[in-house]
Amino acid sequence: MALEGLRILDFTRLGFGAQATLICGCLGAEVIRVESTRFPDAIRVMPPFVPEPGERGEAFGAATLANATGAPSPNRGGIFYKYNTGGKKSITVNARHPKGLALLKDLVARSDVVTESFAAGTLDRWGLSYDVMRQIKPDLIYVSMCGFGHEGPDAANVTMGPTAQALTGSTFMVGLPDRPPAGWSFSYLDHVGGYLGAIAILAGSIHRRRTGEGQHIDVSQLEPATALSGALLLDAALNNRPSRRPGFPTGNRRAHPPSAPSGAYRAAGDDKWVVVSCRTDEHWEALVGAMGRPPWAHDPRFATMAGRVEHVDDLDAHVGSWTAERDRYEVMELLQRAGVPAGAVQDAADRLERDPQLAARGHYTMLGNAEVEPLPLEGVPFRMSVTPPHTGGVLHRGPPCLGEDNESVLCEMLGMSTADVAALAADGALS
Amino acid sequence: MTAPLEGVRVLELTDESAEYCGRVLAGLGADVVKVEPAAGAPSRTIGPFLDDEPGPDRSLAFWADNVGKRSVVIDDDTGLLALCDRADVLVHTLRPPEAQARGLGVASLHERAPGLVVCAVTPFGSDGPWADYLADDLVLMALGGSMAACGYGPGADGVYDTPPLASLGDQAWRTASTYAAIAVMGALAWRSESGSGQFIDVSAHECSASMTEWHLMTYLCSGGVHRRGPHPTLTGSDGKQVAALNPDFLGPHVFAGMLEMLEAQGVAGPLSDPAFADPVHRAGNYREVWRALKRLAEKNDGETLYRLGQEAGLPWGVIRSPDEVLDDRHLRARGHFVELEHPELDRTVTYPGAPFLAHGSPWVMQRRPPLLGEHTEEVLVDWSAR
Repeated sequence: MALEGLRILDFTRLGFGAQATLICGCLGAEVIRVESTRFPDAIRVMPPFVPEPGERGEAFGAATLANATGAPSPNRGGIFYKYNTGGKKSITVNARHPKGLALLKDLVARSDVVTESFAAGTLDRWGLSYDVMRQIKPDLIYVSMCGFGHEGPDAANVTMGPTAQALTGSTFMVGLPDRPPAGWSFSYLDHVGGYLGAIAILAGSIHRRRTGEGQHIDVSQLEPATALSGALLLDAALNNRPSRRPGFPTGNRRAHPPSAPSGAYRAAGDDKWVVVSCRTDEHWEALVGAMGRPPWAHDPRFATMAGRVEHVDDLDAHVGSWTAERDRYEVMELLQRAGVPAGAVQDAADRLERDPQLAARGHYTMLGNAEVEPLPLEGVPFRMSVTPPHTGGVLHRGPPCLGEDNESVLCEMLGMSTADVAALAADGALS
Repeated sequence: MTAPLEGVRVLELTDESAEYCGRVLAGLGADVVKVEPAAGAPSRTIGPFLDDEPGPDRSLAFWADNVGKRSVVIDDDTGLLALCDRADVLVHTLRPPEAQARGLGVASLHERAPGLVVCAVTPFGSDGPWADYLADDLVLMALGGSMAACGYGPGADGVYDTPPLASLGDQAWRTASTYAAIAVMGALAWRSESGSGQFIDVSAHECSASMTEWHLMTYLCSGGVHRRGPHPTLTGSDGKQVAALNPDFLGPHVFAGMLEMLEAQGVAGPLSDPAFADPVHRAGNYREVWRALKRLAEKNDGETLYRLGQEAGLPWGVIRSPDEVLDDRHLRARGHFVELEHPELDRTVTYPGAPFLAHGSPWVMQRRPPLLGEHTEEVLVDWSAR
């Protein structure tokens, strides 16, 4: 695998940082999560919870008692399973215990990369600042990932994905004209920040291979987002067209290139929708043919793209009344066969159960662990012909149970005996 | 200090869907050469345009994703193949039959250049039942799932009267481009070990499908699907909105910090009742929490609310438009925005810069977006030897 041999000592929590190390794990890096039994990662202990074996029938998704009553175990938090594929290992170390801290230093000495997503200053307070770590391991690549980064006047601010989305313009870009933004209803920037975190890790390791030098790379959740607005920033600055203006944002309509009909149209069923997107005259001609050449489509107002854009409200009403009587997947298939870009608006259940493309591409990999039966989990969404990534990492294993690798990691990496590990645990250094 | 990909030659043969990949690789120091037909890459025809006047060197959409690259005009595939022989990476957006037709099939490329990393970014990947389907960003946002999860909530009758929404900014393409950059870097790391190139097959649909956070897990765990609706916001006295997340699940300190701030502002009301320290009581009476926050919002403008929330340890953020981000003091202090000269226009243009602060290998941001064919002769000389 592409990153085989790269060892990452991973202190990340929640989504943003963990997304970065999951990517590296899927590419073959050895990712060792350093966790705490006393302060488990919140996504290990918050709902939704993975059902107990036997709690669900043939299909996934039966509601469980655990989801109503609280965390049954640190190994059932569902969101943990989204962000911790890649064959990550888990060890538990009490950094506040002198022997725990000493252990962490030994691990740093034998790692290539240290990643973390704590608030700025947390590792320093443990006695594990970058300066300390690089004395132990001079060519260490240290990648910090927190909302505002470690430097700058607002570094003490706290963020979650939606905070960063608000501040960077991402929230603003989702909405209908002349209404408050709807925004993303999830932490899109946990993903985007994590992708750039992975790029930082890769850049650091390529740089070290070339120069022998380590470095600190400070990743925030803000900077990765500023390029997401494409030309909007330039349009505001150069054409004096600020985004906060009447009629903007434009919902699903796109001004560049001017396209109509293009948008989400209601399909048959309860709140079911299908996207139809005619970006060219050819797409429009194909759509008209696929609809059976209805008389309204020959309205001269709709003869050119400019006319269709000008009369888009009427046009959308006609297209919408055609789609409304049809199943969204039927519309998609019919139009795609005719040469019109179209796609059903799918939710997570649809992606898992109704999407033949994801199934054929092997998008999901069944992975479990000692406590959780195999689930269809996601890794990296691309293929590599020579070094294929695997959602279960080098060892093809599922997300780890809390502390499940204490013994193997400490014995194999540090040459400890089983008795040494037991003594450390009895001392409270592995909590 | 050198950049991580300094000296790496990247040939880019893409439409607008994957240009962001090359922009990232250029930032990492790669020599990214965009191959264009004489009429220019299709993305040069996409607006908005400088001063709203179309022209191959005036597309701001092109500028945003092509800053840092060089441009060569090559209209014949023989010339293109000669450049492939001297490149380290080829990023393209051709489906397998199109690639084959242009002599860019993987087998023949690797016969010529076994070390070449070839990365194809296509809507659905190189195979599968939808491999030939057509898609733009909107279609991919629909199929991938983020659209179903974004938009306004239902009306009082429980009926959704507005459609699911996709973000502006081509987020599915951007995600695919970012994953392509990751895969290329992984392949380069492997190549430096082995000397071997390989083929990377990026399906934008798969990329789009994997970016909706916990939604798959919610379905697997509970059988429920995430329905769309905005995050909670407060509207300040100036009408600006503030994303006001109150993550109680992170621990008791979250509410404690909020209460202290609300009391200092004189709007805590019933929340000062010790009963509210109990998370179960709080969850059952969350309406009171929200009422107090609304009292706070009535008295303060958006930027002040952002500051008050943050000082109380709450992950609040004022909702800004993309251009309002330019004024952010934190990003400015981190040196994020970069000004580049466009000498032919006698103007300086501000671009978003480094996505992170790499202290040992700085982000490269020196070239403004290339004029059409600006570097044709220069590249043929630079790349004449390997």
